[in-house]
Amino acid sequence: MQRYETEVIVIGGGATGTGILRDLSIRGIDATLIEKNDIASGTTGRNHGLLHSGARYAVYDLESAQECIKENKILKKIARHCIEDTGGLFVTLYHDNPKYHDLLLERCKLAGIKASEISPMQAMAIEPNLSSHTLKAVKVPDAVIDPFRLTSSNMIDAVERGAKIFTYTAVNKIITSGNDSVGIECINKKNEKIEIYANIIINAAGIWGQHICEIAGIELKMMPSKGSMLIIDYRTNNIVINRCRPPADGDIVVPGDTVSIIGTTSKEIDYDKIDNCNVDDDEIDTLLKNGEDLLPNIRRTRGLRAYCGIRPLMAVSGKVKGRKISRGIVLIDHKERDGMEGLITIAGGKLMTYRLMAEKTCDLICKKLNRKLKCTTHKLPLPGSEKKIPAKQTIKHFSGIPASTVGSTFYRHGQRVHNILTKDKKNYRLICECELVTEGEIEYAIKNLNVKNITDLRRRTRIGMGPCQGELCAYRAAGLFNEYNSTSPEESLKLLKDFLEERWNGIKPVFWGDGLREIELSYWIYQGLFGLGDFGDSDTEEN
Amino acid sequence: MYDCLIIGGGLAGLTCGIKCAKEGLRTAIISGGINSLHFSSGSIDLMGYSADKNIIHNPFKHIKSIKRKNPQHPYAKIPVKTIEESITFLTDELKSEKLLFYNNSGKNHFRITAIGATKPTYLSQESVFNEQLDLALKNNTRISILNFEGFRDYYQEFAFSNLKKNSLFNKLNISSGSIKLSFLPDTKKHLLESNSIDIARLFETEKYLPRISEEIKKAAGDSTIITLPAFIGLNNYNKIHKRLLELTGLQIYEIPTLPPSILGMRIDNALKSRFSSLGGEFIAGDKAAGGEIYNHRVTHIYTENYTEATHHAKYYVLSTGSFLSGGLQSGFNKMYEPVFNLQFNWSRKRNKWYSDNFFSAESHPFLSFGVNTNAALHPYDKDGNVIDNLYCIGAVLSDYDPVREASGGGVAVSTACYAAQKIINGIKG
Ligand SMILES: Cc1cc2nc3c(=O)[nH]c(=O)nc-3n(C[C@H](O)[C@H](O)[C@H](O)COP(=O)(O)OP(=O)(O)OC[C@H]3O[C@@H](n4cnc5c(N)ncnc54)[C@H](O)[C@@H]3O)c2cc1C
Ligand SMILES: Cc1cc2nc3c(=O)[nH]c(=O)nc-3n(C[C@H](O)[C@H](O)[C@H](O)COP(=O)(O)OP(=O)(O)OC[C@H]3O[C@@H](n4cnc5c(N)ncnc54)[C@H](O)[C@@H]3O)c2cc1C
Repeated sequence: MQRYETEVIVIGGGATGTGILRDLSIRGIDATLIEKNDIASGTTGRNHGLLHSGARYAVYDLESAQECIKENKILKKIARHCIEDTGGLFVTLYHDNPKYHDLLLERCKLAGIKASEISPMQAMAIEPNLSSHTLKAVKVPDAVIDPFRLTSSNMIDAVERGAKIFTYTAVNKIITSGNDSVGIECINKKNEKIEIYANIIINAAGIWGQHICEIAGIELKMMPSKGSMLIIDYRTNNIVINRCRPPADGDIVVPGDTVSIIGTTSKEIDYDKIDNCNVDDDEIDTLLKNGEDLLPNIRRTRGLRAYCGIRPLMAVSGKVKGRKISRGIVLIDHKERDGMEGLITIAGGKLMTYRLMAEKTCDLICKKLNRKLKCTTHKLPLPGSEKKIPAKQTIKHFSGIPASTVGSTFYRHGQRVHNILTKDKKNYRLICECELVTEGEIEYAIKNLNVKNITDLRRRTRIGMGPCQGELCAYRAAGLFNEYNSTSPEESLKLLKDFLEERWNGIKPVFWGDGLREIELSYWIYQGLFGLGDFGDSDTEEN
Repeated sequence: MYDCLIIGGGLAGLTCGIKCAKEGLRTAIISGGINSLHFSSGSIDLMGYSADKNIIHNPFKHIKSIKRKNPQHPYAKIPVKTIEESITFLTDELKSEKLLFYNNSGKNHFRITAIGATKPTYLSQESVFNEQLDLALKNNTRISILNFEGFRDYYQEFAFSNLKKNSLFNKLNISSGSIKLSFLPDTKKHLLESNSIDIARLFETEKYLPRISEEIKKAAGDSTIITLPAFIGLNNYNKIHKRLLELTGLQIYEIPTLPPSILGMRIDNALKSRFSSLGGEFIAGDKAAGGEIYNHRVTHIYTENYTEATHHAKYYVLSTGSFLSGGLQSGFNKMYEPVFNLQFNWSRKRNKWYSDNFFSAESHPFLSFGVNTNAALHPYDKDGNVIDNLYCIGAVLSDYDPVREASGGGVAVSTACYAAQKIINGIKG
C-alpha cells in the first residue's frame, strides 16, 4: 500500500479537474489529481468542441450566455493553440420560424454578445456549402476548441509547477474521520492500493460525481443526458453553423481539423447506463437528416466515426429535462449542504467554462484553507500559447523539415513544437500520414504527456484520427511504444488490439461506403495477414 | 468480338484469363485498379479453419464435408478434383514465370506473420516456406528474426517474442536483431520513410548486394537461418535471392508485413506477364460501367472512359472482387453489385453487417456477402433470371468468409478454373 499526503485532492481528469489542478498549482497550493482512465477520456473528450459565443443560450438562459461570452474572450487569449477562431453563423431556413432570429439578435445584445445580421448572399459567400434555403443569417463569435489539447496543456502546466497526476487510478473510497472527509483510497491498473490524505477533496468527476458522493455517504442526483455526434471525413464548413431555432437535435455543425462534426442528440438515460452507452442507428439517421438541411452535401461525404457523451447536468428541483435544464455551474460545499467538512463538488457548466469553474472552486478552497491567493488563470497563457507567433515564422525556423509537418505540429502544440521537432530525420519522419504525426511527436507524448496506451496517444497527437483510422500507423505506434516506453512486445500488441477495438466502436455506427471498404482492408491486415486476434488477452499463446 | 471478356484482373480474373488464352480463346481482361494481391500475404489459402475454428491440416478432406454442410459455399459447387487441378494449374503457370511455390503434398503448412502468429495456408513462395525450413524446424537450429534498422513497417521484436512461445518453434534457438545500413548515408535517411517497394528497389541494385550481405551476416551472428520482412526485390527476385544466399551462406526467408505486399505483387506481375505471353489482351485503367442483358444473356458492356464504345463477347466473367476492390458496393442502408445489378446476398439491416468486436471469433457477416449464383456459377439478374453467358468468380461471390476460413485464394483460383473450363467447352463445343 502506498500512502501520500497533499493539500488538495482533485478527483477527475477532465477539463474541470485539470483546470483546477492548474489553478491550484499556480496559486502555490500542493495538489494531486486522480483519474480512473486517461485525462480527457470522460465527457471532456466526447463533446462537440464548440467554443460557444453564448448565442445558443441567450434566448433561454441569459446567465449561461454571459458566462460563455466572457470565457470565450479569455480562452481565445490564453489557449490560442487549442482554438480555431472560425466564427459562427445562426441560419434560419425557409421553414423555420423567423421570429426566433429576431429574438436571438435582441437577447444577444442583452448578454453582450456581438451578433450581427448578414444577408443570405453574404452567408453563402462565407460558407459556400450552405443550404440555398437560407432565409436569414446572424454572425456570432463562436469558435472551435480542441478538448484534448486543452486538457493536456492544463496538465502540463500543473505538473511543471509541481502538481501530481495519477491516471488509470480510480477512487473507490472516501476516508472519513468523524464527519470530515480526510482522504481517499484508490486502486490502479496493477491492482495496487493507494491512500492519499488531504485537507480538501474536490469532486470533479463530472457525471460520475454522483458516485463519488455516494461513496462519501452523500446523496447527489445527476440527470444523465446522452448526446451523440457524427464526424464526417470532409470539412464541409469552415465556420460553426447553428440552426436558428430553439435548441434541438442535429442543429450544429462544427468544423475541426480536417473534418466536420454534426451534433447533437439528447436522450435521457438511467444513471446505471452511463458507462455502457453507444450511438444508436436512429441517432445517425437524425443527425444526417438535420445536418443535410443545413449543408446539403453532407450526405455525400463519408461518415468517419460517431461517438456519444453524457452531459453532467445536475438535477435541480422541478421537471425540466434534457437541453432545457440549466447548464449553469454548480459548486457545492458539502459542509454547508450535508455537514461534511473537506469535500467540495463542482459540476454542470460546459467545457468552455472549465476555467471559470476552476476559479470558483479554487476561491472556495482558498477561503477554507484561509489563504489569500488570487486567481490569475484568466491572464496566464497555457503552455504552447505563450506568444502569438505566426505559423510561418515557425516553419522558417525548422527549414529542412517539410512545412506541412512543422505546421501540423505547431498547430497541435503551439510553441511546444520546439520541445518536439529536431532536424534529425528519424525525429520528423511521418508515422501517421493522414494527420502528419511524426515519430518525434510520438516520442514526446510517450515521454512527457502521461501516455499509457495508443488511445491516449491519439488524444495527445491525433494519430489514427484521419481517414484511414489507424490502418498502418497503429502498428507503427505499437512498435514505437515498444521502443520508447519499454513496453514489452506482448503488451504493445495488446495495446494495438485495444486501440483497434476502440476505433471500431466509433466506426460501427457509420459502417457503410468507404468506411466499410477501409475496415475490410484493416480487418484483412490485422486479422488475415497478422493474426492479431489469435492472441488472447492473457499472455498465453493459442496456436 | 471476344470469346471471353473478363471484368476485373485480380487473382481470379487473371487465372481464368490464362486458362482461356492457353486454350486459344480470344480473351481480354478489363481491369480498373490494383487488385487485392497487393495487400495479401502472397500465400494462397485453400481452407485453413473449420467452422468451429480448428486448424485444418487436410484441406481437401474438409472441402468434401462442406458440400454437405454448406451447399451455398463456392467450394460446394465445384468438384473437388477440379479444385485440386486448379491449384496445380496455378502452380505450373507461375513456375513458367519462375515464381516457385511450396506445397506440403496435399496438406496445409503454415506461414509466419509479422507479429509472430502462424497461419495455415496451402501454397507459399519458396522464399516464405520450403522443405528446408520444414526440416530445420524439427531440429535444433539457430534462427534470427531480422529487420533493417529504421524500417517502420515491421517490428522484428513482435515476431520474435511470439514465435519464442510458439510450440512449433520450441526446438529452435531464436534470436532477433537489426541490420544497419549506415554505409549508405542517403539510403539510411531514405529508409526511414520507405515502404517495402522502396527497399525492394535497393535489393535490385546489384552493386549494393555485397555490402548488404555483409551487414546481414553481422546481424545474423551464429544463426544459420534468418527471416526478413518481405522486401527482397520485386523484379528479378529469384536472381537476387540466389545471390544473397551465395553471399551470406544463410538460409533467408521472407515474412509478409504491412502493404504494399511485395510477395503479392510478384504473383500479380507473374500472372499478368503470363497472360500477355499467351496472347491475352489486358485493358488496364478502365472500368466496366454497366452491361446490357437481353434474353438472359449479356449482349455487351460499356466502360467508364469510353461510354459510347462497347465490348462484345460470347462469354463474360465477373471477377471484380469484394467491397475493397469495388466489385461490391455499400451505401447508407443499401448494398449492390454495380456492373449488372445482380442478385446479392446481404442483410437489410446495417447493424447486421458487422460483429460487435473487431476481433470477434465469428469474423464479420459482411465478409460473406456477395453475388449469389447457381451451381454453375451463373448469377441472377434482379428479376431472378439466370444469366447464361455470365460467370461470377472470386471475391465477388457470397457465402464464404475468406478471413475466418482462410480460403480466399483457393476460392478465387478454383472458381476461375471451373468457369474457364465451362467457357472453353462452350466455345469448342
Ligand atoms: C453531447 C455533448 C456535447 C457537448 N458539447 C459541448 C460544446 O460544444 N462546448 C462545450 O463547452 N461543452 C460541451 N459539452 C459539455 C462538456 O463536455 C462538459 O461540460 C465538460 O466536458 C465536463 O467536463 P468535466 O471535467 O467536468 O467532466 P469529465 O470530462 O467527465 O471528467 C470527469 C472525469 O472523472 C473521472 N472519474 C469518474 N469517476 C472517477 C473515480 N471514481 N476516480 C477517478 N476518476 C474518476 C472520469 O473518468 C472523467 O475523466 C457537451 C457535452 C455533451 C455530453
Ligand atoms: C487485403 C486482402 C488480403 C488478402 N490476403 C489473402 C491471402 O493472403 N491469401 C489468400 O488466399 N487470400 C487473400 N485474400 C483474399 C482474396 O479475396 C483472394 O485471395 C483473391 O485475391 C481475390 O481475387 P479476385 O480476383 O476475386 O479479386 P481482387 O483481387 O479484389 O480483384 C478485383 C479486380 O477487379 C477490379 N475491378 C473492380 N471493379 C471493376 C470494374 N467495374 N471494371 C473493371 N475492373 C474492376 C479491381 O480494380 C481489381 O483489380 C485477401 C484479400 C484482401 C482484400
